[in-house]
Amino acid sequence: MDKLIRVENLEKSFFDGDSELQVLKGVDLEVNKAEILAIMGASGAGKSTLLHLIGTLDRPTSGKIYYEDEDITTYSERELTQFRNTSVGFVFQFHQLLPEFNALENVIMGKLISNRKSGYAGGQKLNRNEMNDRAENLLESVGLSERLSHFPSQLSGGERQRVAIARALMNQPKVILADEPTGNIDDITSEVVFEVLLKVNEELDQTIIIVTHDSRLSNQTNRTVNLVEGKIKY
Amino acid sequence: MKFEWFVASRYLLSRRKQSFISIISVISIVGVSLGVATVILVIAVLDGVEHGLRDRFLANEAHVAVSKFDRGFFDNYKDRIDAIQKVDGVTSASPVVYTQSAIFQKGSQRIEDVIYIKGIDPEVEDTVTGFSKFVEGSIAFQDQKIIDQASFLNDESVTGGIVLGSRLARNLTLHQGDILRLVVNLQEDPHSPGAYLPRIRNFVVIGFYESELAVYDSRMAFIHLDTAQKIYEEEGSINVILVRLDDPEQAPTIGDKLIDVASFTPIDMPITTTWLDTHAPLFAALELEKMATVIIEALIILVAAFNIASTLIMTVMEKTRDVGTLRTLGASRGNIMYIFMIQGCVIGMLGTLLGTALGLGVCKLLSTNVIRPSPLIAFATIGLLILLQISITLKLILSRMKLKKIVMLVFWIVGITFVLYCLVQPISLEELGLSEIYQMNQLPIKINWFFVGFINLLSFSICWLATIYPAFQASNMRPIEALQYE
Ligand SMILES: Nc1ncnc2c1ncn2[C@@H]1O[C@H](COP(=O)(O)OP(=O)(O)OP(=O)(O)O)[C@@H](O)[C@H]1O
Ligand SMILES: [Mg+2]
Repeated sequence: MDKLIRVENLEKSFFDGDSELQVLKGVDLEVNKAEILAIMGASGAGKSTLLHLIGTLDRPTSGKIYYEDEDITTYSERELTQFRNTSVGFVFQFHQLLPEFNALENVIMGKLISNRKSGYAGGQKLNRNEMNDRAENLLESVGLSERLSHFPSQLSGGERQRVAIARALMNQPKVILADEPTGNIDDITSEVVFEVLLKVNEELDQTIIIVTHDSRLSNQTNRTVNLVEGKIKY
Repeated sequence: MKFEWFVASRYLLSRRKQSFISIISVISIVGVSLGVATVILVIAVLDGVEHGLRDRFLANEAHVAVSKFDRGFFDNYKDRIDAIQKVDGVTSASPVVYTQSAIFQKGSQRIEDVIYIKGIDPEVEDTVTGFSKFVEGSIAFQDQKIIDQASFLNDESVTGGIVLGSRLARNLTLHQGDILRLVVNLQEDPHSPGAYLPRIRNFVVIGFYESELAVYDSRMAFIHLDTAQKIYEEEGSINVILVRLDDPEQAPTIGDKLIDVASFTPIDMPITTTWLDTHAPLFAALELEKMATVIIEALIILVAAFNIASTLIMTVMEKTRDVGTLRTLGASRGNIMYIFMIQGCVIGMLGTLLGTALGLGVCKLLSTNVIRPSPLIAFATIGLLILLQISITLKLILSRMKLKKIVMLVFWIVGITFVLYCLVQPISLEELGLSEIYQMNQLPIKINWFFVGFINLLSFSICWLATIYPAFQASNMRPIEALQYE
């Protein structure tokens, strides 16, 4: 099976003055194309930290991260920003929608950012109508075709998470990184949101890495890994 | 820039949780506006005063005066004037006897005043200072009929006619045909050596000089050149040559040449005085006032800019999580910086433009003489606006209307414009008793478009500078920390 992401001996320490907190102590991980992978682990094990590193929101202390054999740890700040825009979609525990923008606008935001820069590789240029069409389709596929012009404050917790998923899909990223996307909503709603992620994975062959505490959810993924004491335990 | 404008404009326009911030934005806009409006207005007034004075000076003053350092008399003046008139840029030149005299009224032994006496040849003088244009009455200084008649009526010897400054005449309540005594000089008393007697000449008032320049109208009198030469016993001599130029701004350069042309020698200690020299202290004072105004107004704008900065700092704090989100979506630090700079710059721009409109509008009103509606109507309008605003704020009326904020804004702008129209009128300096000081009757307004442009640029630049720090702060936040910001 094709590998999308390869993480090699990844280490991450946080420094607070003289004291060093080693969170990741040599993580090795491979992610296949079109798979949905769950990462589990105790609270504080470093799951979010690992996801941030894979998503280029932070830099590792040492180790390598390859996307299709391209080492992104050597990227410049500028390249990372661009990479984040075109290749990674995030879904967080707290929806992180922009409160001043409606659902549709939130979804197209990532495209608006890159659309102006002709230099953004992999980003295809769309006009506003094409953007809106794509966003409408995405919102429809997450079951929110009736909520296009609702603002985040007018949506339920589950609906917000589904908007966030649609937003993550907007730029057709290589991978979606979801950090406890259902951590903040009740069980039944969680189920709905999770269904959406599964459906996205199924229908679009979208690679997804999902961090969760919920074993009922992780049971439905292709594969589950555990992060224990800063290392992946299979 | 499209994306940044999209976000920034939404941040500017949307209703915030903290409506405090939008109130501060309004205060920032008003602050910038007031700074810009007042500076435009004050500079327009100062420029108006300066130009008003220049115009008046130029209308009835020579551009250059050539004389000896001590205003001593010199002869051969006809040749000298001919030579001066041949110089390029010189329109004409006239001979003048320029002195000072104490004056008495008939039947009084009190010195009324000490005034300047200008002995002129009216016809030549007209070509230099346009003298006769400003005279009401006669300029027939040597008309024997008038002199004889005055002499007969007053039973005194009369030397000639005199044209008095209009204010001077008013102060002394002198009318046409009245007698004015001039103390010409002192003469040793032939009967008691060492004692001096004043030599006095009587003149008959024939006209009044009205230049609208208080200095002249209250301190100046004109007699004929021949008469002046005779009474000062300086026949064939004068002490000042007045020169008119094609371009008054050339006075300093052409003036210097005239001394040689008029064949003065260093022993004469000749000097030229230009109209600019004469009024240099006044122009310098006006210039200083302008500079002080600009500095004060720049400070006002600076304070407003601090407002903008603090508004932005608060906006940045409020939007920290948004910044984090945008960064995860691939917005660069530059993108973030733009988003916040746009907000500050829009506020600065709005304030600047509003202030310019206000300043220019008030200038226009201050220089337009039309009959305005009664101030009562203005106060009623303000009352109505406040009432409307209160009832809307308290949701008594129109609570469902969507655009009520914009409608109210339009109401306020139209209302305030109307109130200004009612209340702002040309200011009469005469009524304020200031016309003597400023030498004009109505507060003058002159808009210097170059300066308006400059102040717009200055104001906008200050506002722009104020946005840099907060915007930089926003762009400098690490995405993860911004995301986790509570
Ligand atoms: N910026 C940081 N500075 C210092 N320490 C940090 C920072 N971010 C995370 N940590 C620490 O790193 C460790 C791992 O944090 P992380 O958020 O990755 O855990 P997690 O596995 O996601 O936990 P949870 O399941 O509770 O979300 C924690 O002990 C945390 O305190
Ligand atoms: Mg976590």
